[in-house]
Amino acid sequence: MKMKNQLPLLALLLCILGHGLTWAASPATLAAPTGDESAAEAVPFDPFDPFDPFDDSTNDPFAGDDDAVQSVADPIVGFNRAMFAFNDKLYFWVLKPVAIGYRTVFPTPVRLGVKNFFYNLLTPVRFVNCLLQGKDEAAKGEFIRFMVNTTYGVGGLFNPAKNYPGLTPPAEDFGQTLGLYHAGNGFYIVWPLFGPSTLRDTVGSVGDWALNPLTFIKLIQVDAGELTTTTTGAAVFGLRTVNDTSFHIGDYEALKNAALDPYEAFRNAYIQNRNSRIAQ
Amino acid sequence: MIAKTIASILTLVFLTVVPCMAGSTDPMETIRTPIDALMVILNDPQYKEPGTKAAQRDEIWKIVKPMFDFVEISKRTVARNWRDFSDAEKTAFTDVFAQFLANTYIDKIQGEYHNEKIVYLNQDFYSDAYAEVKTQVLRETAEIPVNYRMFKDGADLWKVYDIIVEGVSLVKNYRTQFASILKKDKPAALIQMLNEKLAQQNQRLAENG
Repeated sequence: MKMKNQLPLLALLLCILGHGLTWAASPATLAAPTGDESAAEAVPFDPFDPFDPFDDSTNDPFAGDDDAVQSVADPIVGFNRAMFAFNDKLYFWVLKPVAIGYRTVFPTPVRLGVKNFFYNLLTPVRFVNCLLQGKDEAAKGEFIRFMVNTTYGVGGLFNPAKNYPGLTPPAEDFGQTLGLYHAGNGFYIVWPLFGPSTLRDTVGSVGDWALNPLTFIKLIQVDAGELTTTTTGAAVFGLRTVNDTSFHIGDYEALKNAALDPYEAFRNAYIQNRNSRIAQ
Repeated sequence: MIAKTIASILTLVFLTVVPCMAGSTDPMETIRTPIDALMVILNDPQYKEPGTKAAQRDEIWKIVKPMFDFVEISKRTVARNWRDFSDAEKTAFTDVFAQFLANTYIDKIQGEYHNEKIVYLNQDFYSDAYAEVKTQVLRETAEIPVNYRMFKDGADLWKVYDIIVEGVSLVKNYRTQFASILKKDKPAALIQMLNEKLAQQNQRLAENG
């Protein structure tokens, strides 16, 4: 990609970061987001949730832990809502019809093979992050899984490793690694095409991108004077996205229909999901 | 992408949902019995005929409903704002929210059921009165963790007060949404919004048979 193509993206990123940092430094962020502290009356206690800000602190064995852990700052909410709307249209107008057509043409075993192939290919990302998080068992699992699936699984198209215990560790990424070392979310960002993220997870994705073998392929092609690398990258991203979506048609719609404010529902679900994966 | 996974999970969660057996004292059994019954209905050939979706939905709701304590769920989603609800509003809210959840998720299970299997992993007791049942929904391409948080109600029955799918708590997800509505509006406005959503849903369900 030429520099001039990257400039607008860079400018956008800087603008978002600038805005977010200014906001993060302002005193408003220090105030508790929840309202009246005095009357916690009638709010049931949830023993499984040490972080529930609505817990009555007299009952709460974990009182004093960080209340705000489940919430996320959203200083660029205007931009995010616009991107959410954009991604929503993209899903209904492009991704969903394409994925339905794709699903009609390619039977499940083929689509499963594509999914397995990419998952196997991205082993380095998960393996390195297991190591960075000190999860030796999981790292071993990832490594053996890769060996088994690459050989007996014909280059990762099949997943024979799934029948063995310990060979399907939870997927780790660099955002989770940063989270484990107490990097906060920063603030919420909805990227066009890529969807929900946070400042921390966006930084994490860059780290994961560097470990992605497809990135190496692109770099090699650049060395060889290939001009189509951006197209190739986009095609691979597109295939993965369509293939993944073909297994989940209807899910997005269901979650959206279940929400009064879909934007808030997805933001909250993203943060809850990430927090639970970091805690794993 | 994550959001989509979560949505699928939410759907499947309801597959796992089950009513209480009277007198049962084991949280996991409290869940397992109705879920097994739900699977039977989903596989029942009589509901494969066109035009039987509504009947199937009613049948599922009958089995699933006793599993939950919807007053408890309502309280937890509304959280501190619950004290601003009048008694009538509390009842109205609980009714419409329960119906709304039922419509949303039962429709989703009906549309998406592909012989998923449920694995019951274990149950953690926090105390005599609180427990968490951990399950997994086995899908074609993934294993989705679904946890049921339960408490023992006044009648000594275990009831579900929250479902956590892939780490996402249903109650907390609604809590953020309701909180931002209740910051600006009165409880009556929230109930009104839910009623409108429910009416739209009913219309859509009626159109789809």
